[in-house]
Amino acid sequence: METMTFATQNLWTWWFALYLFLGGMGAAVIVVSFLSHMYLREEKELVMWGAISGTIMMVVGSGMLFLHLLNKWAAIYILTPWGIFHKPDSWIAWGSQFILWLQVAAILYALPYMVEKPRLLHWPLVGALLKMKFTRDVALVATRFQPFLAWVAVITGLGTAVYTGLLLQSFPAVTLWHNPAVPILFTVSAFSTAMAWLLIVMYLFIYHRVDHTIRALYERVDMCLITAELVIIYSFFNFTLSGSESGYRSAELLWGNPGWVLGFVVMGLMVPLAMEVKCVFGRWSGKVPIVTASLLVLSGGFLLRHFFMQAGVYAYPW
Amino acid sequence: MTRYAMVIDMNTCVGCNACMAACSLENQTPVWSDQWRTYVHDRETASGRAVHRHFIPRLCNHCANPACMSVCPTGATYQTKDGVVLVDEELCMGCQACALACPYDARYPYTHDDIAEGKKFYGTLHRKSPSMDKCSFCNHRLEAGKPPACVQTCVGYARIFGDLDNPIDPVTELVRTHKAKPLMAHLGTRPNVYYIPER
Repeated sequence: METMTFATQNLWTWWFALYLFLGGMGAAVIVVSFLSHMYLREEKELVMWGAISGTIMMVVGSGMLFLHLLNKWAAIYILTPWGIFHKPDSWIAWGSQFILWLQVAAILYALPYMVEKPRLLHWPLVGALLKMKFTRDVALVATRFQPFLAWVAVITGLGTAVYTGLLLQSFPAVTLWHNPAVPILFTVSAFSTAMAWLLIVMYLFIYHRVDHTIRALYERVDMCLITAELVIIYSFFNFTLSGSESGYRSAELLWGNPGWVLGFVVMGLMVPLAMEVKCVFGRWSGKVPIVTASLLVLSGGFLLRHFFMQAGVYAYPW
Repeated sequence: MTRYAMVIDMNTCVGCNACMAACSLENQTPVWSDQWRTYVHDRETASGRAVHRHFIPRLCNHCANPACMSVCPTGATYQTKDGVVLVDEELCMGCQACALACPYDARYPYTHDDIAEGKKFYGTLHRKSPSMDKCSFCNHRLEAGKPPACVQTCVGYARIFGDLDNPIDPVTELVRTHKAKPLMAHLGTRPNVYYIPER
C-alpha cells in the first residue's frame, strides 16, 4: 500500500467526554468521602454531600451514554448482574455493574444520616420519600451493614474510576489510547477532580460543619495528584513523539491546540497547582483562592477527556 | 473445520464498485447515509509526470482475535465456528465501542432513521431494530453454499474467497506463500482478509 489516511473518530464526542468526566469524578467523590468518614472523622455532612452529589454525577454521566445508544431497550443486557459473567472481557460490562452497585451502596450508606437531616426532609418529593416508613426501615438495616456498604462503594468506586481509562485502552488502533498509562492518568484525574469538588463543597456549603483538618488534607492530596498528573502528561508527550505515526499525529493535534495547552495544561493543571501550593504553605488564606483553583481543576478534568477523545488518530492503510 | 478468508488482488481490481453495489443490495446497507459494508478507496499517487490510480477495497477483516468482539458489552458481536464475525442486531445496544475498536473502519451505526429510509429504499427491510452493522462475509449465502455477493460479482476476479483450513484451496496457497498479506498485522487482531500488493 502506498497511501495512508489519518482520521479521528466522530462517534464519541463531547457527550462521551462528559460521561468519562462525571463517571470518574462521581465515583472518586464517593470513595474519598466514605474513606474520610471511615478513617478520619465522622463527618455526616461530608458523607451526605459525597453520596448525593457523586450519585447525581454518575446518573447524569451514564445518562449521556444512554441517550446516545442506538437501541436503548438492549441496555437491559448490561444492567443485569450476570452480564459480566457473560462478557467478562468487556470493560463496559464491568463499568456498568460498578456504576450500578456503587450508586446503590452510596445511597444506602448515607441513608441513615439523610433520614435524620431536617433540611432534606423539607425538600419536595425527597422529603416525602425519606419520611416513608419503608425508607426508615431500610435506613435502620443499612446502619447495621454500614462497613460492608462502605467497602462495596469503595471497591466499585475505584473500579469505576479505573474503568474510564481501561475503556479507552481497549481500542488497539489508536496509540494515544492503547497504552497502560491511560487508566492511571484517568484515575489520578478522577481523584484530583473529586478532591476539588469536595473542597468547593466544604468551603462554600458546609464550611463550619466540617473539621478544618480534612480541608487541609484534601488540599495537600490534590496538590500531589495534580503534580502526578503533570508527570503523566509529560510522559505522554514523550511517548507520542516517536514510535508510531498515529501517536505523532495525536501529539500534533494536542500540542497544537490552544484548548489543550492553555485550557487544560496551563489553566487546568499548572495554575491551580501554583495556587494550591501557595495556599498550603500559608501565603494565601480565605476561600477565594482555593475555590478558584478547584474550579480550574474541574474544568481541566473535562477538557482532558474532551481533547483526549478528539485527538485519537486512526492510521488507515488506504 | 472451516476457516473462511478472503484474498484481494490489488492488481486486478479496476475500481468499478460493483462489489459495493452487490453488497448493498444483498445486505440492504444504508447507502443514503454513505455507509457501506465494503468500500473501494480510489487513490492517486504521482511520481514525476506519471500518475497512478490505486483501488483499495476494504471490508471487515473477520479477525481471529477481534477487538470489536472483546469490547462488546452485551455479546452482540460474536464469532461463528467458521471464523466469521457477526452482529446480533437484537442484542446490540449500539454503544458504538466496536466501531472505535476496529482498526479497519469496518463498522457503522444503522440508526432508526436509516430503518425508516431503508423501508422506502428497499421496499421490504429484513432489519427490525437499529444496531451496529458490518460485513458478514454474506454468512446467509455461505450457509447456502454460495460465495459472498462481492466475490461473485467482481469482474476482475480481484476477490478470492476460500477456506484457510483446506490445504489445496488457492487462498491457503496465497497466504502460505506470503503473496497475500494482512493489513496492520502488528495490532495482533489476526485478520482473515489478505491483500496481494500491486506489482
